[in-house]
Amino acid sequence: MLSHFLLMVTYALIVSLFFTLLWRRDRREQVKLFLQIFLGMVGGGLLVAWLMYPFPSGPPAPIP
Amino acid sequence: MAESGSIPAGQQAPPAVRPQGNPVVAVLSAWLVPGLGHIYLKRYARGLAFFVLVIASLIIGCKLEGNLYTVVAGQPLTILATLGSMGMGFPYFLLRFGLHYGGNVMGAGYEYGTAFLLTAGLMNLLLVLDAWDIVRGKKE
Repeated sequence: MLSHFLLMVTYALIVSLFFTLLWRRDRREQVKLFLQIFLGMVGGGLLVAWLMYPFPSGPPAPIP
Repeated sequence: MAESGSIPAGQQAPPAVRPQGNPVVAVLSAWLVPGLGHIYLKRYARGLAFFVLVIASLIIGCKLEGNLYTVVAGQPLTILATLGSMGMGFPYFLLRFGLHYGGNVMGAGYEYGTAFLLTAGLMNLLLVLDAWDIVRGKKE
């Protein structure tokens, strides 16, 4: 069950929850910051993926 | 004109947060076990939440067989990465020396796992700084 998207969402979830709890105390502000970070990370990841889509993936790099 | 450092007219001074606890114990416990510094400073819910988040990141990183950084000769950046990973405190040494965990470069989730493991260490370093701010009365 190794999905790139699922791992990206999990990572974004952990990081955004962490910074929300670290930086905000008020519940309303927490929700706002959480959504900003989480959607920023997931949306940014999808945007970068979309921009890289035309590039060929090529053969895998040799492991040193 | 208001003096520099004084409160402008019409504004209230921010509530003073009283310093609390022993700074050495707070910082050391925050580093050793994720969230323990906050629990020591009586931020129980937050401390528990931080513990869950850092350990979750750690477990996912290990499940994905990510790299737990060590210093590699001739690669100076691994010094920084190792210090960042060591930020997770006791779990780093437990994984490294107790469980002899080293990751698996051939694993399908190696790169992702490495990111999760490094993030766990860096998050805990931020928790140490947060505990320091709380114990000095700079933060609630």
